[in-house]
Amino acid sequence: MTVTAERPAELTPRRPDRGPGSRADGWVRRAPLLPALVFTIIVTQLPFLFTIYYSLQSWNLVRPGSRQFVGIDNYILVFTDSQFRQVALNTVLLTAGSVLFSLILGLLFALLLDRAFLGRGFIRTLLITPFLITPVAAALLWKTVLFDPTYGLINFVLSPFGVGATDWISTFPLTSVMVALVWQWTPFMMLLILAGLQSQPHDVLEAARVDGATSWGVFREVTIPHLRRFIELGIVLGAIYLINTFDAIYMMTQGGPGTASANLPFYIYQRAFLGFDIGQSAAMGVVVVVATIIVATFALRLIFRSFSGGEET
Amino acid sequence: MAEVEFDQASRIYTAGAKPAVNRLDLEIADGEFVVLVGPSGSGKSTALRMLAGLEEIDGGQIRIGGRNMVGVPSRDRDIAMVFQNYALYPNKTVGENMAFPLKMRGVPKEERATKVKAAAEILGLSEYLDRKPRALSGGQRQRVAMGRAIVREPQVFLMDEPLSNLDAKMRVSTRTEIAAMQRRLGVTTVYVTHDQVEAMTMGDRVALLKDGELQQFATPAELYDKPANAFVAGFIGSPAMNLFTLPVSEEGVRMGSSELALPRSLRSRITEAGLSTVQLGIRPEQWTVGSNGDGAGVKAQVDVVEELGSDAFLYAHLDDGEQTPVVVRTGGRSGARRGDQIALTPTSEDLHLFDPSTGERV
Ligand SMILES: Nc1ncnc2c1ncn2[C@@H]1O[C@H](COP(=O)(O)OP(=O)(O)OP(=O)(O)O)[C@@H](O)[C@H]1O
Ligand SMILES: [Mg+2]
Repeated sequence: MTVTAERPAELTPRRPDRGPGSRADGWVRRAPLLPALVFTIIVTQLPFLFTIYYSLQSWNLVRPGSRQFVGIDNYILVFTDSQFRQVALNTVLLTAGSVLFSLILGLLFALLLDRAFLGRGFIRTLLITPFLITPVAAALLWKTVLFDPTYGLINFVLSPFGVGATDWISTFPLTSVMVALVWQWTPFMMLLILAGLQSQPHDVLEAARVDGATSWGVFREVTIPHLRRFIELGIVLGAIYLINTFDAIYMMTQGGPGTASANLPFYIYQRAFLGFDIGQSAAMGVVVVVATIIVATFALRLIFRSFSGGEET
Repeated sequence: MAEVEFDQASRIYTAGAKPAVNRLDLEIADGEFVVLVGPSGSGKSTALRMLAGLEEIDGGQIRIGGRNMVGVPSRDRDIAMVFQNYALYPNKTVGENMAFPLKMRGVPKEERATKVKAAAEILGLSEYLDRKPRALSGGQRQRVAMGRAIVREPQVFLMDEPLSNLDAKMRVSTRTEIAAMQRRLGVTTVYVTHDQVEAMTMGDRVALLKDGELQQFATPAELYDKPANAFVAGFIGSPAMNLFTLPVSEEGVRMGSSELALPRSLRSRITEAGLSTVQLGIRPEQWTVGSNGDGAGVKAQVDVVEELGSDAFLYAHLDDGEQTPVVVRTGGRSGARRGDQIALTPTSEDLHLFDPSTGERV
């Protein structure tokens, strides 16, 4: 009798207690985390709120006392500023171009390193090195050692072919910055794709060969679909980093000539710290943050979708 | 369709090491179902992969339809392979998986669709054609892998333990399906397994490998009745054959305290070979069990009784001072119990004799 009485109680799934006091219990457990939360809010959210507040003011440091509330005037100015649009376009070009080219080069080098050859370990180390160099040092290296019109290596190497003393950086400012960024980011893409290549199941590749695929067929039909999520991850991570590029531009071109090679972070910096226009730059900052949040939301959703799919059997 | 020939084919993975497959000779007729069987590491997969073009042929030749395959890439060999883990393309649907070999050979789209549909019908996969492999059960994946192999209508099917990831019941039913399908299609098939039951039930002929060496290549019945050496004798049959190394005596051999008389034909073969000890093989079903009292036969004590319903296996040990284990098959409901004393006499005339030094059949 006792047995039958007990059984139903065992079978019902246990629910968490919802009695009085459990709420307080939860807070007791969470309380130790509060300082960290408060600190995070102070460090990340308050500055943003201040920025929004500044963006609604006309406030130029050069004219003290001129500070006043102007509503959304600053935003209107941002959207009518042709320089801002030019710089936004630069940002897109620089980010997309650098990601794309470093991805293509990274894929080629990864394919090279995926096969066995003498001295592979050494070559791999050499190929990774650019990623380990401080970005500022790398930019300086490109500016002085390679691109310099008088003693740069590039002109030296090209001089036999009749290329005169070209000043690469002032003739092709955006491209020059992009070259330096691609050089730094290729190893990252290469490592990511190499990890993808080496995680390919062997038997699937063999099956494709037995099924009659040529090397190119195996690459297109099996390897590329497998690499897709690694490539997507590379694009998202690369874009997140490269959209914020500041050091390379600061070191190589100072955004010039004019704003020809400035991107948004650099332009905002110029406006705030060289133009002292706090209101304007705050408004630009807010616009950029909002745009970035929108783009990043889509990008992150892409990553999580392709990695939670669990392609392996 | 084609015949397949291994002609002294060898594979050496690391220079100087023992070959993984050593001078393998097999002649497989057109349309034949041949099973490669052997213990783990015996070189079965290596031999199959050599035929598939996935491993180099380091010595000798392999011919398909008379054409030497040394240096011919997999895609030009006109073979289809089923892998142990199926090796389906994870990013393609079931239909695309099955159509892939046709696509790679430039078969037009409509023809591909018709062939895939027909194959899916046979394999009961019609409703899954749009699914990705990860949304299938193990048995369904196995069938997709089979489907991918048969749509091609290749010269040779190669299968490397295609059933080892299925549960016991599925394995038995799929085993029959594969065998039946092979008979219907009439495509030469080389099938690798480590399971001797699969080998015996599926193959027209069975090649038994050990350490990269071919032990015997014969029909299942011949393998069972006339094993070429002691290794084959012990490998084929479940439970395994009882093998005893015994001194030769006047009338036959000495087994413990008693003497086991052997028929004249066997005795003359021992004298011909000039052996003083001999390895005697007796299958579990080649014993008659008498009670201990009647004097004749070898005395033994039962350790374990396995009742299988239709028959029973007695695991016993001999009273020969060394407790040599012995397995005996009796009819079901034998009534034997643990601890019983029994007397064993070999029933059959054709017991197996092997040379104890070489293991070869006498
Ligand atoms: N890539 C390799 N490199 C070096 N040795 C290998 C390689 N592949 C297999 N071998 C060796 O070759 C021998 C035969 O291996 P193989 O895979 O053919 O065995 P198998 O009969 O298929 O065994 P199993 O039943 O376990 O699959 C083994 O001793 C193994 O260690
Ligand atoms: Mg194997």
